[in-house]
Amino acid sequence: MPRSWTSSTAWSTPPAMRDAPISARGRAPAPAKILGVALIATALLAAAHLGLFRTSAALLQAEHGLLGRFLAAALCPALDYESAVPAGTPPLWQKVLEGLRSTASFALAGLSLALCFGAPLGILCARSTWRAEKHDPRALAARALWLGARSLAAALRSVHELLWAALFLAALGASPLAAACALALPYAGTLAKVFSELLDEADERAVRALEETGASRVQAFLAARLPTALPDLTAYAFYRFECALRSAAVLGFFGYPTLGLLIAQAFENQHLRELWTYLYALLLLVLLAERWSSALRRRLVA
Amino acid sequence: MSELARWERIAALRKQRPRAGLLHGSALALALLAVLAWTTGDFASSAPTAGGRLAELARFAHELVPHALRDRPLELGELGAWIAERWSTSGAAATATTLALAIAATALAALLALPASFLAARTLACAEPYVDDPRPASRVRRATWGLAQRLVRALLLLLRATPEYVLAFLAVALLGPLAWALVLGLALHNAGILGRLGAELAEDLPPRPAAALRASGATRTQIALLLLLPVAASRFVLLLFYRGETCLREATVLGMVALPSLGYGLAQARARLFYDEMLFFIACSALLVLAGDLFSTWIRARLSVARRGNCT
Repeated sequence: MPRSWTSSTAWSTPPAMRDAPISARGRAPAPAKILGVALIATALLAAAHLGLFRTSAALLQAEHGLLGRFLAAALCPALDYESAVPAGTPPLWQKVLEGLRSTASFALAGLSLALCFGAPLGILCARSTWRAEKHDPRALAARALWLGARSLAAALRSVHELLWAALFLAALGASPLAAACALALPYAGTLAKVFSELLDEADERAVRALEETGASRVQAFLAARLPTALPDLTAYAFYRFECALRSAAVLGFFGYPTLGLLIAQAFENQHLRELWTYLYALLLLVLLAERWSSALRRRLVA
Repeated sequence: MSELARWERIAALRKQRPRAGLLHGSALALALLAVLAWTTGDFASSAPTAGGRLAELARFAHELVPHALRDRPLELGELGAWIAERWSTSGAAATATTLALAIAATALAALLALPASFLAARTLACAEPYVDDPRPASRVRRATWGLAQRLVRALLLLLRATPEYVLAFLAVALLGPLAWALVLGLALHNAGILGRLGAELAEDLPPRPAAALRASGATRTQIALLLLLPVAASRFVLLLFYRGETCLREATVLGMVALPSLGYGLAQARARLFYDEMLFFIACSALLVLAGDLFSTWIRARLSVARRGNCT
């Protein structure tokens, strides 16, 4: 099985792109120069629209005292609270651990919900699930169902998790379950899209062999296609765990008790050294997850 | 073959099957952690089961309907007029700003990632790049290049590990509510990703042409700019469009920090409890992201066809 794309460890690129699906139909090559000029012109136009050229002077004149203090604080993150706290407040390290625990727990809850919906949706989004003979009268219905599943996945994905969170906050108030659902919906859409591509890319030989010896579609899927794709599916789920940790941290800016909340509060109180402690804790958590998932991917290639 | 022999054969084959011990163990560990999260967190207890919650949901659903249209049968014409009015007063401008934010951030990320990916590529950022028989380079030179390449890699890793929203929040806090701050936050995170992917592109290029150039006396910079850059450019542009999709999705929320864009409008509507307007902004961002996805998929398909055309 071609695994060239796995070796590039580039989960941030969708599977469909790694071995760029190239149709055999010859079309005139897009003139590279026109494309380059268009790209640069678009970028300049966007920058002008935002007033980036106009305000770059303001950027340089920004109050640099705060920036300097912020950067200096990076070298000495706080090991204890920077200002007096009421008696009985747990020590800082306990607060950091609690932030880490709750970030991980929001990420895990969101991701497990997302897997429950995303995995079945991924199967429905796979082309191979709906494969039908050309003249089969059911082909049209299959295509409609496939399109429906794909559109559902695309719609879930197109609304950012923070926007889902804003909706749920307004509808249900600040409940942890609402936060987990806000994470789960767009993640289910993304998982469905990538899972369907991985299932379609799985080695066809085992599936063919089973189908030609009389196995039903469902049997061939369960005994051949799914097991073949399972390592890749698992590895991708791990990559999404890493992303879920980042998203869970950001949910803190909406008041959920994750690391984002601690970061926002530390900045409001101008506790810059504490802020760096939380930032380092977040980086440590994400980097640990990154090492874990990239170790899995490397093992897949070997 | 007797029944027993057949089962023995199956058992033997089963023993030979490839194992992925680490993968299984990791999946099990993650599942256990998820169970732990569900049992220790107060997710389950907060489920909206009580009647009060349902009443609240009904009230919320009612408030999602545009204000002028509430409490009477829905007329599509009026709804259309309301949407058109919202679009021309704030929606269009916010959507344009969001799009511009995503494009500017992707462009800046590419600008930052290009030099970083050369400096992070192991094949190029070493004491004697593309030399088959590495002449003993001086120890100092080897150590310096090794250190530089590792430092760039570590920096890229840190950038992509930090969520773009956190970067944007810090940038706005430190630089003030400028568009620059959001662009920087989004661009830095994506430069971390593009830099890594770009380094892999450079490392995966066939070494022969570069070695030939090197043997005829080309410098490292010449190899990078005259050989690697043109050869890898088309693949890099593909990556750029892919990251552009993600940037657009992220740009829809960054406005919550500052800058009158879709996220900003949404945050304002939320603060004033105008849920109909909030839904309008969410719909705008969903449509923008969908349109961006479609455009990017279309252009990536065209570009890969073109690339194939060039190769053959």
